[in-house]
Amino acid sequence: MSGYEDEKSMLPYIIGAVILFFVGTAGTTYLPFYDDQMQAPNQNAELRHLSVESSEYRGREVYIREGCHTCHTMFVRPVLADSSLGPISQPADYYYDAPAMLGTKRTGADLMWVGNRWNEDWHREHLLNPQKVLPGSIMPRYDYLSDQDLEDLIAYLMSLKPSPQTEGRPVE
Amino acid sequence: MPSPSTKKDPYLPSKIYLYSSLFWLALGMIYGLILSLKFLWPNFLAFGPFQVFFQYGRIRPVHTNLVLFGWLTMANIGALFYVIPKLCRNQLSFEKIAAGTGIVWNIIVLAGTVALTMGFTTTTEYAEWPLWIDVLVILGMAAVALVCFATIATRKEKQLYVSLWYFMGSLIWLIGLYIIGNLPYKLLSGVPQFLIFWFYGHNVIGLWFTTVGVGLIYYLLPYLTRNPLYSHKLSLIGFWTIATFYVWNGPHHLQNGPIPLWLMKAGVIPSVLLIIPVWSVLANVFGTLKGKWHALSRNTPLKFLIVGAVFYLVTCLQGPFHSLQGPSSVIKFTDWVPGHAHLPLFGAFSFVAFSFMYVFLPKMLKTKLYSNKLMEWHFYLAVTGMFLFAFSTWSAGVLEGFAWIEGAQYGMQFVEMLISMRPFFAIRAVAGVAMLISSFVFIYNLAMTIIKANRNSQNEEISAG
Repeated sequence: MSGYEDEKSMLPYIIGAVILFFVGTAGTTYLPFYDDQMQAPNQNAELRHLSVESSEYRGREVYIREGCHTCHTMFVRPVLADSSLGPISQPADYYYDAPAMLGTKRTGADLMWVGNRWNEDWHREHLLNPQKVLPGSIMPRYDYLSDQDLEDLIAYLMSLKPSPQTEGRPVE
Repeated sequence: MPSPSTKKDPYLPSKIYLYSSLFWLALGMIYGLILSLKFLWPNFLAFGPFQVFFQYGRIRPVHTNLVLFGWLTMANIGALFYVIPKLCRNQLSFEKIAAGTGIVWNIIVLAGTVALTMGFTTTTEYAEWPLWIDVLVILGMAAVALVCFATIATRKEKQLYVSLWYFMGSLIWLIGLYIIGNLPYKLLSGVPQFLIFWFYGHNVIGLWFTTVGVGLIYYLLPYLTRNPLYSHKLSLIGFWTIATFYVWNGPHHLQNGPIPLWLMKAGVIPSVLLIIPVWSVLANVFGTLKGKWHALSRNTPLKFLIVGAVFYLVTCLQGPFHSLQGPSSVIKFTDWVPGHAHLPLFGAFSFVAFSFMYVFLPKMLKTKLYSNKLMEWHFYLAVTGMFLFAFSTWSAGVLEGFAWIEGAQYGMQFVEMLISMRPFFAIRAVAGVAMLISSFVFIYNLAMTIIKANRNSQNEEISAG
């Protein structure tokens, strides 16, 4: 065992572990903040920039509280599997999202642009009893939400729409 | 726990952690089974207050946090408090602090579970606990690190064995990444914030559960096989490559997503290079086993260890493959992902923890394991459960991915795809039952070992008195 003199000191391990950790941390968590694409919001981000007093903002809090993000992504990729979900997500779309809820698991459908897909009445019916609207769905019933929470949540879901520019429509 | 004897128990801190981890394992597995049943019957438990407090979106993080921080982290710390003094040939420093952190850690897990059930979440995967709990976690982990580093600093054995490198690294990394991953979630925003979430989410697996687990493999393997470690050089390569590459892995969670190309490359290339550390560990494991493979048939803790190591290899061969654009475009977001996530956490490193506890908990109690037969049952049930879980989720994942490509992306088409996945969800629930029963067998076996040991020590005192 005498051949490993350098393995009798803790320092190389501590210093090495710290330096390597910080290099990777800087590269993957710090530098992205300075990338051009992350620097400025676009029109979609402005639409998603909710004021704290708005119904949509409160709806987003309900969305977080009930853990909707554990089953629904907000993340449209330039791949075939996302081809009918709407415009492809850009970094700038999420500029104001705190917390960002891009998601990791699609047990239910992607909700990035769900505001374009259905109307308020559909959402109300669906949230109260998903199996009635979509027979065979495994989404839980949200009939325990207060009326206020339910309407706020619907307002939030309806707000998830792309801006006219993103869709190539003329700006009003 | 405290015995009437006046002698100090040097293993008390370790025991507090290990005993508690058994409780959280039971609870976390029950939550896991409830989740898997909700895939089959979405209205399972949906009545009265249960509808809210066992709502899928709320209890999914309860399950992950219980098994990650209640079970596996506590089991890991319990193991550190036992193994580090053994490798250093000394006593654990600051024993009282060490025991105290065990109690604090239980309060943290309980508080976190209650907070998540009430709907307080930060949405950061594996870091959903609210900020005030995170502060406690960091203070607790700092105290654990202090205990461990002080023990290593005052060691009587000069040579630092490879397990100790991994343990030192893990303790530093966990604190660092926990702080960065738990920055107040409304302070930052957008894609860079999500990158931080996945910097944390991936590294808490890779730079805490994996590295402590690998350190334990390096400790347990020579102990159980009575062979010296096969290659010193391989262990060096393994340690420094995992320290270099692992921390870069976060961006691959946004593969094909809204991130710049340079970042995607910076995330994917190190992911692929991770084959180096995992293969160097496995080569070392197989090398050390040379001439001792026959021992596997009789030695159940060794079975757990080797099967765990093989699951680790499979996970880390899958990982680089997932991180590539093509495979990711099919399996990302599908049920493949939970299959992949259970493989290292239940398959690999829980198996290592099982192996550790079967060997060393009876040693701490100066007794023998209650039942070897039950240990064997635990092994086969756990392996069967893991295989059923893995293959049902992987198959479902691939089918889901291709169904999306065919256009089943929302509405009734999406639901029709889900309906056709029911057989796989059923197999997954059966897997959940097998894993739950296996864990109860494990807990019962160790509980009986502990109870019998305590009874014996009391009898001894009576006869001595």
